Amino acid sequence: MAGLPLAFASPWVLLALLALPVIWYLLRLTPPKPRSEFFPPFVILEQLKATEDTPAKSPWWLTLLRLAMAALAILAMAGPILNPGETPLKGEGPLLMVIDDGWASAASSDQVHRTALAMLAVAGEKGRPVTIVRTTDLEDVSLEPMSAAEASGLLEAGTNRPARPDHALAAQRIRSAIAATGFGETVFFSDGLARSDRTRGLLDSLASIDGPLLVASPDTSGLVALRPVENQPSSMIGTAIRANGGGSLPLRITAFDKNGLPIATTQTLFADGETEARFELSQPVEVRNQIVRIVAESANNAGAVQLLDDSNRRRVVGLISGQSADISQPLLSPLYYINRALSPFSDLRFADTANTDEAVDDLLNQNVSAMVLADVGTLPVQAREQITGFLDKGGLVIRFAGPRLAANPASALLPVELVQGDRFIGGALSWETPKSVAPFEPSSPFFGLKTPEDVSVSRQVLALQSQDLENRTWARLEDGTPLVTANQVGAGWLVLFHVNSDNNWSNLPLSGTFVEMLRRTVNLARSTGVKPLEDAQLRLPPMEVLDGKGVPVPPPVGVKPLVLEGSIEPRVTLENPPGLYGTEDGFRALNLIGDAETLTALEPAMLPAKAQTTTLAASTSLTLRPWLLLAAMVLFLADCLAVLWFAGLIRGSSKARPRSVPAATALLLAAALGPVAPAGSFMSPAMAQSATADDGLDYSAALRTRFAYVVNGNEEIDAISRAGLLGLTRFVSSRTALEPGDPVGVDVITDELSFYPFLYWAIDPAAPAPGEEAMARVDAYMKQGGTVLFDTRDQISGVLNNGSGGNQKLREILATLDIPPLEPVPSDHVLTKAFFLLDSFPGRYQGGDLWVEQIGTADETETRPARAGDGVSTIMITSNDFAGAWAVDEQNRSLLPITPPVPGQREYAFRVGVNIVMYTMTGNYKADQVHVPALLERLGQ
Amino acid sequence: MSLTTGKLVEALPAQSVLARSRARAALIPDLLVEAQRVANNVFAGWHGRRRRGIGENFWQFRPYVQGENLAAIDWRRSARDDHVYVKDREWQASHTIWLWVDESASMLYQSSSAEVSKQSRALVLALAMAELLARSGERIGWLGVSKPIVHRHAAERLASDLIVAGAQDRWPDMKHIGDHAEVVLFSDFLESREDEEAHLAVFRDLSDKRVRGHLVQIIDPAEEVFSYAGRMEFRDPETGHRLNLGSAQTVKQDYEALFRGHTQLLADYCSRLGWSHTLHHTDHLASQALQSLHVAMSENPFDGGR
Repeated sequence: MAGLPLAFASPWVLLALLALPVIWYLLRLTPPKPRSEFFPPFVILEQLKATEDTPAKSPWWLTLLRLAMAALAILAMAGPILNPGETPLKGEGPLLMVIDDGWASAASSDQVHRTALAMLAVAGEKGRPVTIVRTTDLEDVSLEPMSAAEASGLLEAGTNRPARPDHALAAQRIRSAIAATGFGETVFFSDGLARSDRTRGLLDSLASIDGPLLVASPDTSGLVALRPVENQPSSMIGTAIRANGGGSLPLRITAFDKNGLPIATTQTLFADGETEARFELSQPVEVRNQIVRIVAESANNAGAVQLLDDSNRRRVVGLISGQSADISQPLLSPLYYINRALSPFSDLRFADTANTDEAVDDLLNQNVSAMVLADVGTLPVQAREQITGFLDKGGLVIRFAGPRLAANPASALLPVELVQGDRFIGGALSWETPKSVAPFEPSSPFFGLKTPEDVSVSRQVLALQSQDLENRTWARLEDGTPLVTANQVGAGWLVLFHVNSDNNWSNLPLSGTFVEMLRRTVNLARSTGVKPLEDAQLRLPPMEVLDGKGVPVPPPVGVKPLVLEGSIEPRVTLENPPGLYGTEDGFRALNLIGDAETLTALEPAMLPAKAQTTTLAASTSLTLRPWLLLAAMVLFLADCLAVLWFAGLIRGSSKARPRSVPAATALLLAAALGPVAPAGSFMSPAMAQSATADDGLDYSAALRTRFAYVVNGNEEIDAISRAGLLGLTRFVSSRTALEPGDPVGVDVITDELSFYPFLYWAIDPAAPAPGEEAMARVDAYMKQGGTVLFDTRDQISGVLNNGSGGNQKLREILATLDIPPLEPVPSDHVLTKAFFLLDSFPGRYQGGDLWVEQIGTADETETRPARAGDGVSTIMITSNDFAGAWAVDEQNRSLLPITPPVPGQREYAFRVGVNIVMYTMTGNYKADQVHVPALLERLGQ
Repeated sequence: MSLTTGKLVEALPAQSVLARSRARAALIPDLLVEAQRVANNVFAGWHGRRRRGIGENFWQFRPYVQGENLAAIDWRRSARDDHVYVKDREWQASHTIWLWVDESASMLYQSSSAEVSKQSRALVLALAMAELLARSGERIGWLGVSKPIVHRHAAERLASDLIVAGAQDRWPDMKHIGDHAEVVLFSDFLESREDEEAHLAVFRDLSDKRVRGHLVQIIDPAEEVFSYAGRMEFRDPETGHRLNLGSAQTVKQDYEALFRGHTQLLADYCSRLGWSHTLHHTDHLASQALQSLHVAMSENPFDGGR
């Protein structure tokens, strides 16, 4: 396949492409069939001049679409393959395939896998036996040649393992294999890293084989690994390494906790040409203590993951006091402040006994990593030996001074020699004042802490002047005398606070600085972690291991428990992949990369002379059939849509969709158009409930005054309410300065009511009363100044309002409302004068009273023509069916007859409406207007 | 599943007139029941054409006014207090009201968004109207079917006459309609231009005879809102003519404007004659049309509603 890297599985199918012109001819001839419809207003349709017809032939683009579809289907059937595999295998005879399948091969393993499989396929065709050597294999794996199919099966699980390749072992095994089998050709898939002499040995033994030697080495520029991190007092410091010092490479380091959640992240950069990059996680120690896994992102190999165990964790601190513990006075205990200061970041252990010997023994058995001795004077010999041993192993001992220590300055295990007795500063017989703490020096671990200005020390133990004293002092008072001294003993630290641990000698234990000082000190302690007891063997079951890509997985079959024996560091093997071993309570991390690890790239110069480099398959050979079929399918869907469009089943507007569109088509459309599919075409436009329309409705309601009616759910009543308010709106617009917008129906349960000056509520005796929640909203609406006009519409029912269904329903509705006392509109109420002068309030019926809120008792002496309380009656009740009288259709014709047909009653009904509107909108304004003559009269004076 | 929007409810070949009239005859009793139901619904708020007048039913007592006929005084009532009362009777001068329903092929149309065909809605309205008018004691006739009668059960009588007479798919002769009568026509008023002009001329002549007409135009929602798109072939149910449209959606605007114009033309013509024109959609409630028809019939056309 020269040129285009394309091959066909069954090229003869392509002959079908010859049929395309025929298909084209047929398609051109078949126009889509029109949809036939009876249409009574045919006459009107005929008058339209535009009677163009679809051409008898399909449009060219539809034909093209279908042709493309056919061509794609034919091509798909021919089974095209992009980048068909090619192998550079040239030799004859048994094939030796050596694969570096360690952690460093993670990035290239897919390519290696594909290339190896392609080679095996070629070898299989020629019937060449194959021997596969994986450099991570253990010694006991057989090297007998096998068939290519078997070899493919062997590689089925991938060519990447979380282990270190052992080139020395591999070379040895290959030499023995060469002795057994005469190989004709050798392939070496390197992981790109050279392991000094061992790799050379391997290459040499490969070069000793007759026949061609192919070496495939991937690009290692992205290969990154992490060395173990170190948990410093203020941060966690680590180093990332890479093989070749290429260009600068930014790197993102993320730390995960036990649950796999990222809790810290940092950036670092490989400078140009550098192979190491330091990074620092400066989270608080509490956060750092939770880290179990640090990952160099985008590296995706097991070496770029560092697992952390308890040795990087919180310290266990044991506390011993020289004073007998007095539980009843905890604040006086020397351990109290230490306890409070340490507990946030350490696990504390208390000795069960007052016997110092036993206490030390006890604490050491509890595996403490630090020990605090508060005012312990003389140490018994046994305890002294134990503590010395503890220090040698890297333990930390913090001692506090106190009366007992001051009395026994010669006691062993002190960082500095002490002067007998203590120094008392600032007493009654002294000129001196209590001393404060001097700023911490840069050499001190406390450097960086704020100098505590409020701390004063009145008593201390003094160190004998010596040459070391300067170096051993971590903190001093302003007069230069030491406050904290420390000395390294063995691998551990011995720290002495020259004051005691309660507030008798100084107020240091009360300060926050004390906490920080202890924290930094304790961080010096090496954590003990899981350690075998002396000479015993500890078997830790695998808890979680890393796979080749560095992803933590449950331990797969074949992973064995980690055996800890003495102080021998365990090694990563196939049976012990990197991971966490142990249980949730205590586990040990096993990491691939050690402290001194460096990576070296395999340079071409290191290869034997006869070696031929080959590239890995750059991209996979891609079977194009499914993609072509998918494209054909998409075209088919497009064609379906086009046909539907021609048939008129898809319309530009969603308005008035006839329901005849079959459900199947609707479904298809919904699937194809998704959210574009018209929704809400079956909703009544007047209803406000539509969730999507809500905002728009509120906006328009807020922008323009509108009358609103309460939607009962009874279509007939709602329609009359709407028509009634429409009529009122038009009447009001024509007679007054108010020009309201179209009325709306509101649902008291869901809609915002506050935009409407008043609500018309026609009572439907059959509808259930709204729930309490809805009535609470109505109540709020009324309390915020809205007016509700209830209309029972049953004046005609005759029975004086008591027994009628509407009236009872109204009572039911109002039962939950806070209703003020009501009265029929008195003759001097402002409602009778708000716009028109009225003496009755007829609607469609006459005679029913209009009830409003009672306005306090009228002052009998006052002769005001109009009365109004403050504000507007929040409720009006009528039975006259106002909306029925107001109701008009689009042509402004009344919908319902007036009963009885008194001429002019409709006009009066409209006037009532105007007065109600004016009353709700202007309140008692008209009541004040009647004073105008009096005001004018006064002005005239 | 049919892909069409509308259909003719009785898709029978034109020849089988007999079968069609049989089907219709079977339909009418049901429609009559429906009409009575609608009439009962409407009648709750229907207070007749109550006016004072000659009749048999008591209407009201009112004080005697000087100059009235002494015979009108109700002495029994007047004896109960110091005033003299006149006993008024309900006005019962019955009108002659002609009903007619267009039952041409186009009225058989029913789209999927409507519950019933135009024809059956028209028949229901007409029969319900007959029922209501009969209860008010009017003389009711059906153009081309039966002469005006005054009968409590005139609606039933008309229905049975209709069954006998068969479908009224041609416009009736209106020349014999007497002066001062009222005519209620139920149709979709979709006709060829010539027919329409002829009918308008007839209306004008009737109007000259002081006949009041009430046109109830019944249309299907699918006729008003043009919701077709794509390649369409339209067929005229009356003539069977066909019209092909390549992309029907392009004429939507024009068509709807034209349709509205046609309706408006009819309404304007009616208001010029002082007649009423009621537009009714078959997807609305029949009682609505009946209400507005009643308002139109009972209110004086010249005092303009309110």
